[in-house]
Amino acid sequence: MKYVLSSVAVALLLGGWNVTAEPTYRIFVTNEKDNTVSVIDSQTNKVEETIDVGKRPRGIGLAPDGSELYVAVSEENAIAVIDPRTLEVLRKFEAGSDPETFAVHPNGNIYISNEDDAKATVYDPETGAALVAIPVGLEPEGVAISPDGTRVIVTSESSNMLHVIAVPEHAMVANIVVGARPRSATFTKDSNTVYATSEVTGEVTEVDMTTHQIVNKVSLDGIDKAKPKDILLSKDETTLYVAGGRAAKIIVLDAETLEIKDTIPVGKRVWGLAMSRDGSRVYTTNGVSDTVSVIDTATNKVIETIEVGKAPWGVVIDD
Amino acid sequence: MSIPILAVGLTIAGALAGAEPIEIHLAYLGDTSSTAYIGAKQGLSEANLQGQFLGQTYTLEATSSDALVAGSDPKPAAVLAALDKAQLSALSSSLPNTPIFNLTATDDSLRAACNTNLFHVIPSHRMKADAVSQWMQKHKDANVSAQAWHRDFKKYAARELNNRFRKANGIPMDDDAWAGWAAVKMTSDTVAREGRTNPEQLRTYFKEKLRFDGQKGVELSFRNTGQLRQPLLIVEDDKLVGEAPVRGVVDTTDLDSLGLKNCPK
Repeated sequence: MKYVLSSVAVALLLGGWNVTAEPTYRIFVTNEKDNTVSVIDSQTNKVEETIDVGKRPRGIGLAPDGSELYVAVSEENAIAVIDPRTLEVLRKFEAGSDPETFAVHPNGNIYISNEDDAKATVYDPETGAALVAIPVGLEPEGVAISPDGTRVIVTSESSNMLHVIAVPEHAMVANIVVGARPRSATFTKDSNTVYATSEVTGEVTEVDMTTHQIVNKVSLDGIDKAKPKDILLSKDETTLYVAGGRAAKIIVLDAETLEIKDTIPVGKRVWGLAMSRDGSRVYTTNGVSDTVSVIDTATNKVIETIEVGKAPWGVVIDD
Repeated sequence: MSIPILAVGLTIAGALAGAEPIEIHLAYLGDTSSTAYIGAKQGLSEANLQGQFLGQTYTLEATSSDALVAGSDPKPAAVLAALDKAQLSALSSSLPNTPIFNLTATDDSLRAACNTNLFHVIPSHRMKADAVSQWMQKHKDANVSAQAWHRDFKKYAARELNNRFRKANGIPMDDDAWAGWAAVKMTSDTVAREGRTNPEQLRTYFKEKLRFDGQKGVELSFRNTGQLRQPLLIVEDDKLVGEAPVRGVVDTTDLDSLGLKNCPK
């Protein structure tokens, strides 16, 4: 009891939510078709545990302080909250119809796209309360949050738009039409630039977030069957990593020119991406191969292929 | 476990985007009790959902060929037609600069005629025959047909489209409904992306530049015959059994393996 009280006191002194837990150095992967999360030790690249999480787990994310892991269990219309240390499922809360993709705001709230309802909803994961619902276009999918926390982007796949939402007002500040079926977006560290993928037209678009104008665009048509999904920016912000979907490759782009610099063969139907905090590793989920590829970003080579559950979808690393 | 939404953020940003409000008028010719019309109405509702963010409003008016040719006000940006071959040919000559979507007529001769303003969203008879023939090379004893759409199609984003169509209309989406939906969506996508509402500009764009997401997983475009390139679905006993171009028989990305590829010289 004494220990608990002193922990609370320390948390209050430090402002509560700023206390960062010691990382577990684990990689967490949702397996869409066997209702599990694979837990991989990032030091050994071995699966150390498999968690039964619920029906059709897809989107995955960590609390800003690393204390909790969130998983969208789509067919239960819920988000499961897991302790990344004990690997226990702590609780589940209702998250609208068919929750798929979400992002966690620096303030701890979860922004989730509700694909069938043409809206995005903000949840407080502590209470499970839905705080705000924001109407967006048809089939909202990707969610990205600016590092400064002032902007949220929701992509609407069937309406072909990036919706730019101001936080904390939750007012729509811009709607940017991009190539067909925008799926994922990522911000630069200064929050001034966004890169987004369009799956059906096979494009990556660069948007200036101060003007909301498209400033550059690249077609991935030259890469056979490229249907881009997740996109990540390297820590030095010179390189983009794009999951190529059916192309079974990671497509490496120069972030400044959007020229294709390299392709890295991984497994089939590569969708999910995560990067280690130091930027040295990229992890990919290969949905049809049931594997995760580990890429060394110094050489852009796959250094390990890890067998996980059935149809791996999303991936995060707690480091 | 029902949780009340505490606040609803609702700011529609057409004005914020600085865009001038645009109204786009579409005309429909044909039976208004048909699934083609119901599909077009579904497309209209989705176009307006998209349009509210961009300051764009769409209307769809059922009218007659005579009224259109006599000159209607407002002039439609495009015409959606559930008509037969002869009616389509006549309309094409009467409205040479207006894009006309063919939603229901499967005649191959209409494609071979290569009218510059006819856009065949529905697959032709020969496209379906080619799809069946590809399938038969792998499954000799199969008794199958080919369709543009199927109510049980789930892959890519077909499940989402089937679900919302059924929810809104109480009936499953069929080929003609898909064609009606697709014709409106390719128009609204073009208006949203290009800001074009002039019929002649739209006609040129459809012909030369359209890359359309018909929720079949790949981008669709028009051949110079006016036919929409598209994958087809293989159906046996009313059940969805496969897709064409058929894997293992042709390159699955070769949409031109189905139907007449080019205008006859």
